[in-house]
Amino acid sequence: MRDDWDDDQLLAALGEAIRARDTVPARFIEAAKNAYAWHNIDAELAELTYDSSRDESLSAAVRSENASIRALAFTSAHFSIELEVTEDSLVGQIIPPREGTIEAQTGAGATTATPVDKMGFFSTEPIPASPFRLHYRTAEGTDLVTGWITL
Amino acid sequence: MRDDSSSVARLVARAADGDQAAWNEIIERYAPMVWSICLRYRLSSQDIEDVGQGVWLALVEHLGDLREPSALPGWLATATQRECLRVLRAARKYDRFGPVPDELPHPAADDAMIEQEIIAAERNAALRAAFSELAPRCRELLSMLITDPPRSYAEISTILRIPVGSIGPQRARCLERLRRSRSLSAFMDGESMPARVRASGGKTRA
Repeated sequence: MRDDWDDDQLLAALGEAIRARDTVPARFIEAAKNAYAWHNIDAELAELTYDSSRDESLSAAVRSENASIRALAFTSAHFSIELEVTEDSLVGQIIPPREGTIEAQTGAGATTATPVDKMGFFSTEPIPASPFRLHYRTAEGTDLVTGWITL
Repeated sequence: MRDDSSSVARLVARAADGDQAAWNEIIERYAPMVWSICLRYRLSSQDIEDVGQGVWLALVEHLGDLREPSALPGWLATATQRECLRVLRAARKYDRFGPVPDELPHPAADDAMIEQEIIAAERNAALRAAFSELAPRCRELLSMLITDPPRSYAEISTILRIPVGSIGPQRARCLERLRRSRSLSAFMDGESMPARVRASGGKTRA
């Protein structure tokens, strides 16, 4: 915007601004507003720290041999979650091990809860629709979410 | 704009603090830019929805730790570009008849386009905010003048019940109010500031 814009230029710019908003479908805006439902200021965030599909150190041979399994790791200050994605299931390990619940939340809003056993092990099937994230809670008050996962 | 309650940095802080209204305002301002960048990459509407979801979820996750909240438009544009390229790569992997690699847009070559989109998004958001500050009468008249194709003065005269001869002067008055509105003058002041920092965009997701 410039001070020296005359009326015609200003009107044209206004038309462009209004149309830019009007061409966006209402459901795109709605979905964007709904994404805020996942805002959680209390849970501790576990960030992605390892992804086998990006591991340059794996040789091509190893990679193709294990092509059907993808390994991911998420780490926070207090916990890490190791995850293996097979063709039809998600298998994970919480470190340090503690009994609790893992809830998979998809971006579309669906959730499925899976128990985590004393050894910190959990397994969920089928694989949630991407993107999804895992929310780990224990009776002692642990509250941890991973970053969004897209497979 | 940076100092008043509606500045981008304030909106980000409020949204990080749990304020859904602030989040909605961010969406109203910048969803058109996300949409527009996706169109530049010629994505289908299904793919655009995927990109949007990825971008907004990344923003929800990083609301509290954006290094430069006032550079949110740049952050969003970069995150959108990355998601678009991810979707295009995925399509290429599964569709043997998709574009050959050389035809895929090259990220570096697109930086100028992204820069333009950020500038347009900030200008458009300021113009829309300025428009919403106008009195209903001015909004009505200007709305009619920006339709494509524009309405004739005769039509406007009939609909708004004002003499044809007063449309020109009213148009000038309303545009002058638009120019002097809080949102637009704040935006113009902001524009004379040093170039905006281009944030690095959302962190990489799995």
